[in-house]
Amino acid sequence: MVYFIVKRMIQSVFVMLAVAFLAFSLFRFVGDPITQMTGVETSVADQERLREELGLNDPFVSQFIRFTGDMLQGDFGYSYRTRQPVADMITERVPATLELGVVALIISLLVGVPAGVYTALKPRGIWTQTILMTTLVGVSIPTFVIGIMLIFLFGVQLGWLPTFGRGGTVQIGNWESSLFTISGWRALLLPAITLGVYQLTLTMRLVRAEMMEVMRSDYIRFAMARGVPMRKLHYKHALVNTMVPVITIIGLQFGGVIAFSIVTESVFQWPGMGLLFLESIRFVDIPVMGVYLVVIAFFFVLVNLVVDLLYVAIDPRLRLRDVE
Amino acid sequence: MKILKLVFIGGAMSLTAFSASAETFRWASNTDPQTMDPHAVNSAPVLSFLNNIYEGLVRRNQGMSIEGSLAQSWEPLTNENGWRFNLREGVTFQDGSLFNSEDVMFSYERASSEAADVRSWFAPVKEVRVLDDYTIDFVTNAPNPLFPDSIANFMILDKGWAEANGAELPARDAENFATINVNGTGPFTVASRDPGIKTVLAPNAGWWGAAEHNITEAIFTPIGNAATGLAALLSGEIDFIQPIPLQDVAQVEGRNGFKVLEGEETRVIMFGFGHEHKELLYSSDVTGANPFQDVRVRQAAAHAIDIASIDRVLFRGKIDGASQLVPAGISGYSEANSTRSAYDPERAKALLTEAGYPNGFSFGLKCPNDRYINDEALCRAAASMFAAVGLNAELSTGPVRDYWPQLREDAFDMYLLGWSPGTFDMEHPIRFLLSTPNSEKKLGSWNFGGYSNQRVDALLPSIQQEIDPAKRQAMVDEVVAITQAEAAYIPLYTQPLIWAAKDNIDLTQRADNFFMLRWVTVN
Repeated sequence: MVYFIVKRMIQSVFVMLAVAFLAFSLFRFVGDPITQMTGVETSVADQERLREELGLNDPFVSQFIRFTGDMLQGDFGYSYRTRQPVADMITERVPATLELGVVALIISLLVGVPAGVYTALKPRGIWTQTILMTTLVGVSIPTFVIGIMLIFLFGVQLGWLPTFGRGGTVQIGNWESSLFTISGWRALLLPAITLGVYQLTLTMRLVRAEMMEVMRSDYIRFAMARGVPMRKLHYKHALVNTMVPVITIIGLQFGGVIAFSIVTESVFQWPGMGLLFLESIRFVDIPVMGVYLVVIAFFFVLVNLVVDLLYVAIDPRLRLRDVE
Repeated sequence: MKILKLVFIGGAMSLTAFSASAETFRWASNTDPQTMDPHAVNSAPVLSFLNNIYEGLVRRNQGMSIEGSLAQSWEPLTNENGWRFNLREGVTFQDGSLFNSEDVMFSYERASSEAADVRSWFAPVKEVRVLDDYTIDFVTNAPNPLFPDSIANFMILDKGWAEANGAELPARDAENFATINVNGTGPFTVASRDPGIKTVLAPNAGWWGAAEHNITEAIFTPIGNAATGLAALLSGEIDFIQPIPLQDVAQVEGRNGFKVLEGEETRVIMFGFGHEHKELLYSSDVTGANPFQDVRVRQAAAHAIDIASIDRVLFRGKIDGASQLVPAGISGYSEANSTRSAYDPERAKALLTEAGYPNGFSFGLKCPNDRYINDEALCRAAASMFAAVGLNAELSTGPVRDYWPQLREDAFDMYLLGWSPGTFDMEHPIRFLLSTPNSEKKLGSWNFGGYSNQRVDALLPSIQQEIDPAKRQAMVDEVVAITQAEAAYIPLYTQPLIWAAKDNIDLTQRADNFFMLRWVTVN
């Protein structure tokens, strides 16, 4: 097991290097940071001097080596835009993004799994059809449109929930959390729903399909014949067996939720990493963009690892194989 | 009906939620000031924000004219070129230390250092001399009547504070103390700052001036997404936002309790040509020649533009056509040349025929799509107007972060540019847009097309140095007349300035798009 984790960690370093390389080779096409850093009245000579100082005239390969070399030594550099240390800027923004992503995931599971089971057990019910239709609509509308619609309905028209920001936050060590205040939760609700809609639909459809499959299998029929109570049958025997593919997809999707929270964060001015990344693109803030992409790659690797470990926890067959 | 009722309830709820602290003023803008250091970045969001906290020797009033701030008065030096500033006595910084000429000297050295982005303001300065605690001389290389106007955003730091905190120079690569902390003499101070998220300002109790505002706390939030910003205003979470998109004006005006503030920025939007290009880069039918080098072709392009239609269709009647590179009201504006070239497609076709292009030709038009209001739509409209006279523009648009580098690399046949004169004087665009590019003399650095006219080049130093306003204006008039006759650029219109606020907020909309908290009243 330890060997497995260590192997994965070593792999992750290569993944991050590859991402950093790809990102770096694209940055040249994003634009020129110097024109964004200086005012209109700055002379061309001063611009060139700054370009030289920042090493932007160096060949691509040496810029990349310097970037990765510094990162391996724990030096994440300074933002071109704010001159702050990039490591601080990103770590300050991580809690907001993670809390948003996790709450979105929880909402999608809390609603998606029961809805999936229900629609699988009563495939012809009127409620099933309604739920399927609604989620189909929900998943077809782009995230930012859903966000704007929710803002205008609950924020502007009804005035129930805030339209932007994180609300009240509590500092716990280095972690700035909005999960411990009422206003924090009020602010979290709309962005979490927006971010979770796609995930929710996916979970529901997956659980539904798997559940319908499992319900047809022999062991369920035998269990039914033996008179196992329906409730126990559905939730203990059937549902658990649907969970392996569900966890795979949901787990992999969670990496995407974190990475693609950019749109949701922008619509709700949610001060997470995605918003920081978006601001950095606008400003051609290469150090922040580079570190962000590497951190996201790391998240993906980490999520994949957790998914693999969860398999083992859920599926006894995998545990047995490990012992052999 | 139901919706109307909901609106009413929403409005009532937000009123009860925020009326408890009536003098807390919340505002939003699309950009966070990237630093709190007044010398590190020469950009409008930073300088506008910091003008609430720091002060210069002089400042601009609501009507944009110069008035005393940390200097009470100033006069030209008598036996050499330059200006003497008599400083205000008894002014303290927000940490309590006394302001004097040493701070000005220190700030000058800091702001003109290589690490400062604002150092171009001090290019004409030869020497700065402290005479006593409250008198300081700025000696210039040549007579410089505009110098006090040009340093309105030169903000003064406390020498002792900067030195004690290792902020002697503006941060270039890494942050320093002054990047996030402030110590100015201005009407407001920063109570807390979370970069990119929230900045809270509080009035400076020890400010030397008489407060005209009634704010006890001001909270700034950057909101990048325009729709989110509008929702934040309409839901009552913020009191004021700058700017709002043109298409949202009707929605704000249609609601009770909100108002739109409209004005004109000092920015003129224009088309520029690749004057010095030997041939068109993006033409499918002309090779080996650049028709835009012919003045008749440039005039034809100018006559093809129907500014009234652009105004009606794209700008809801909110723009005025421009005749020159600065709008009326800016000092040096040439009244004598205030008619813009008329919309006359027949004349345009005739000029093209005369120039040897009876069937027109195709060329490349470059435009940004996130820099000016409706920039992309403007270029589409202009391209169809050009096409009507036979000028077939191949339009390509892109984000501004990639746009300036392309213009610097001469990758255009025609391009869009907006220019706001930083000194609020016509000399500014002459220096940056009309002078023959010369990096040594720091001239023409935004003259991407390389427009060059010897007479204009010769007049610029005289304009910069002439003390007599009438003589100076005559020279400016000549420059404007030359560049109009040569159609050096096609000035289009002055960009509108559109802000929105709750009805109970009084504020001043200054033409430089700066927002000053000291003119805000919450009723």
